[in-house]
Amino acid sequence: MIACVAVVGHQNNPLYIQSFTEADDALKLHHIVHCSLDVVDERVNNPKKSGPTLNETFLGLLYPTENYKVYGYLTNTKVKFILVTTDLDVRDADVRNVSVTISFKC
Amino acid sequence: MGREVSESCVDSLLTEIVSTYNNRFYANKPELAARRIEAIGYQVGHQLSERYTMERPRFSDHLEAIKFICKDFWSELFKKQIDNLKTNHRGTFVLQDNRFRWLSRISTDPSVENTESQDPSAAAESKASLATMHVYFPCGIIRGALSNLGIPCAVSADISNLPACSFVVRIKA
Repeated sequence: MIACVAVVGHQNNPLYIQSFTEADDALKLHHIVHCSLDVVDERVNNPKKSGPTLNETFLGLLYPTENYKVYGYLTNTKVKFILVTTDLDVRDADVRNVSVTISFKC
Repeated sequence: MGREVSESCVDSLLTEIVSTYNNRFYANKPELAARRIEAIGYQVGHQLSERYTMERPRFSDHLEAIKFICKDFWSELFKKQIDNLKTNHRGTFVLQDNRFRWLSRISTDPSVENTESQDPSAAAESKASLATMHVYFPCGIIRGALSNLGIPCAVSADISNLPACSFVVRIKA
């Protein structure tokens, strides 16, 4: 169950955040997305740590929190798509497909 | 991507843009008209680069991005690639197109000239000034595309022998 989708521009400015949960936790999701931006920058700037995935658009699992998993997708123009999901057994390929579909629809 | 536009419409639109901006909007201020046209090109390039880089893996350095402009970007826009790419390895690139599509219909015949030009240098100058207005838009497109890929730059064009056209890209440090 995807909790939230966020689109962040190339100067880390939020462009679009949509939450898909009924609870009123927009602020918490904002926080999670904000924290994940640091992880994205770290992945991009540390070629040694990211290894063979330096030029990949899909960044994979950024970090897990207690209830959520956060995935990232980075385009060539430094626009970031952040997906926050509550699924415990989600597969990488599914999330990758979702990200690519989102980027196509834009 | 789905929708298509007829090429003659694009040609007519571009010719009309240059003529309107020069003769109606900024009638005696060709520099302002040129900057406006370049700004329009910047927006177009910005959005086109977003669209054309969607699926691809990210670029590792400036040279990769310039090569993308020369190959994929140029093919999408003009159905051909840049013919020659030169660099001085210090931030300047020269992209040469031997038959630039949007300038291919401009007359290059030096004998067909207006009556007031007496010597060949004046004739060449007036012909060059007409053509320079038409290259501001593609310069803007290149600048917009590179800025969106994170490379601020300045782009100028050299049209000493039509229909060949060279775009000089200087990356701002």
